Amino acid sequence: MNLSQELLASMYRKMMKIRKFEQRVSELFAQGMVPGFVHLYIGEEATAVGVCENLKDTDYITSTHRGHGHLIAKGGELKYMMAELFGRKTGYCKGKGGSMHIADAKIGILGANGIVGAGLPISVGSGLSARMRGTDQVTVCFFGDGASNQGTFHEAMNMASIWRLPVIFVCENNLYGISMRQDRHQAIADISDRAQAYGFPGITVDGNDVLAVYEVAHEAVKRAREGAGPTLIECKTYRWRGHFEGDPTTYRAKEELEEWMAKDPIPRFARYLEENGYASRKELEEIERSVESEVQQAIDFAEKSDLPDEADAVTDVYSDLVEEGRAR
Amino acid sequence: MQIKMREVAATATSPSMGEYMKSIGIIANPASGKDIRRLVAHATIIDNNEKVNIVKRIILSAQELGVKEIYIMPDTFNIGFKARDDLASARQLAVKVYILDMQITASLKDTIRATEILQQLDVGCIISLGGDGTNRAIAKALQQTPLLPISTGTNNVYPDVIEGTVAGIAAAVAASEIFDLKDICIKNKRIEILNEGGLLDIALVDAVICNETFVGARAVWSCETISDIIVTKSRPNAIGFSSVPGYIDVIEESDDFGGWVKLGHPGETVVAPIAPGVVRPVPVKSMFRLELDRPYRHCAKQNSMIALDGEREIPLKKSCTVDFVVTRNGPYQLNVEKTLRAALKTKFFRKVCI
Repeated sequence: MNLSQELLASMYRKMMKIRKFEQRVSELFAQGMVPGFVHLYIGEEATAVGVCENLKDTDYITSTHRGHGHLIAKGGELKYMMAELFGRKTGYCKGKGGSMHIADAKIGILGANGIVGAGLPISVGSGLSARMRGTDQVTVCFFGDGASNQGTFHEAMNMASIWRLPVIFVCENNLYGISMRQDRHQAIADISDRAQAYGFPGITVDGNDVLAVYEVAHEAVKRAREGAGPTLIECKTYRWRGHFEGDPTTYRAKEELEEWMAKDPIPRFARYLEENGYASRKELEEIERSVESEVQQAIDFAEKSDLPDEADAVTDVYSDLVEEGRAR
Repeated sequence: MQIKMREVAATATSPSMGEYMKSIGIIANPASGKDIRRLVAHATIIDNNEKVNIVKRIILSAQELGVKEIYIMPDTFNIGFKARDDLASARQLAVKVYILDMQITASLKDTIRATEILQQLDVGCIISLGGDGTNRAIAKALQQTPLLPISTGTNNVYPDVIEGTVAGIAAAVAASEIFDLKDICIKNKRIEILNEGGLLDIALVDAVICNETFVGARAVWSCETISDIIVTKSRPNAIGFSSVPGYIDVIEESDDFGGWVKLGHPGETVVAPIAPGVVRPVPVKSMFRLELDRPYRHCAKQNSMIALDGEREIPLKKSCTVDFVVTRNGPYQLNVEKTLRAALKTKFFRKVCI
């Protein structure tokens, strides 16, 4: 598989966008600028980007409480994301959802989700919808190692398998479900093994290698579009930050974090781009600067935006369809 | 260097055979049989619980034959711990089972390090559970200790499908050191890849040059990107890229030569099983034999990659040159059938039964 320079540059830019966005959110949260909780994606950038670069705007993703990376990789706009985090009316959900509920149906983002494992059945519904409408759309469902113990995981895998739905289950195994190490909450090391029980392929891949993730996801997406059914991809990765911002992370060793930080997916990909002549150091630095500027513009946009009006507190609670149904 | 061991298990009965017997080592790769070829080629799935079962069967049969100590590589799935604990719980464990005390990196390095330690412990035989890639890693560090490879991988040209129970018996026979290695093993060939005289890496079965530019998901399953296949052996009943020359000219492990196939047009097309479930017409420009110990040079016309025993490993820059040398420096691979037949002739098994 040979990838174009344009695609490789896009991958690098998106990984950098996620990193810079999350770093600034961490700072802003510490300054009290971001209400609620935030769960940062730093360290896992290669997974979201490697998967989403295989998707079209018309394809769907379901996300998690750690969703910023997924949304950026799927094409979410930083300024609307940042405004949402700030609770401003210009945000993706008019400032009423916050970090864990960002959605943009126009580009197939069916929503981040604060409930562990809740995206799984949604992805099956989305896959079934595409099947019934006869489109070639696929749905990617991001979830974590903790969610793979939930009933929703098994139910979703079962139904997707029975109906051969175009769903790609992407398990981001970052070794911890909140503060619980994987080896303390499940008796298997590779979550991809669970696909076998449902009769479809399960692959484990280095989630810190964007090219490896891209390659595996490419085949899984192709398979789904061709009607061959679901795939489970387990991406082994690591979150650098705590489960949430402010988490003291007393449950893991400093050495473990250092070991994974040495496997940082971004410099690793930068090295590949440089060594193979796809980009010079200068060009990569230029991308970094331009991303920093874009993130700053998003912050400025959010800060200048208004808070929602009090009257809006009760709007958008139910969909218009429900209201229309009641009226009928 | 003193080798530290984690916790000794062992219960109850002493082994039935009181004669000299070396220990045996087990390297079970938890990552074998899990790569992208499950997605693109319907490859065999052997999950890690089955590897635990295989290890249990090895332990049970080896202890019956008089093996007193077994050393196992630690891994992320805890294959060794699980096998030992299950047998101890069932009160079936009569041998001392040690898990090597080494840091787990969840990479090829673990296999290499475990091989080094097992040799320092002077085990009489190493049993591997994996595919060609796993055994390649072992071969990088292995010297004189016989290797008994059990297939649990994807492209299994090097290891054979052997029942763990039988493997345990054969390993015990090898560990008894009654037989000369030359009588029960074949000394494998290997491909050495050299750069400016220095050894870059090795392959046990095949080295493939492809115009991929990244390691990515490692496996190679399409012949469209491949320009050259270099093999130590080629048989029509093999799977993977070594089957391509296998459909032109059979090269046995015992033959003192290897082979090099250049793909492309003009030439003839050979239909070959290049991956499990993937039988494709492969355009072959030429094939020639490689003399043992003689270097054959390759100059990269573009940025490319060398895949070793099915996995992309060595990136090659445009204009870079490497030498491929087929040597007889591979492991001593235990021939299970030959070993058991030789043991039969010496009434080895009857002694055990007395």
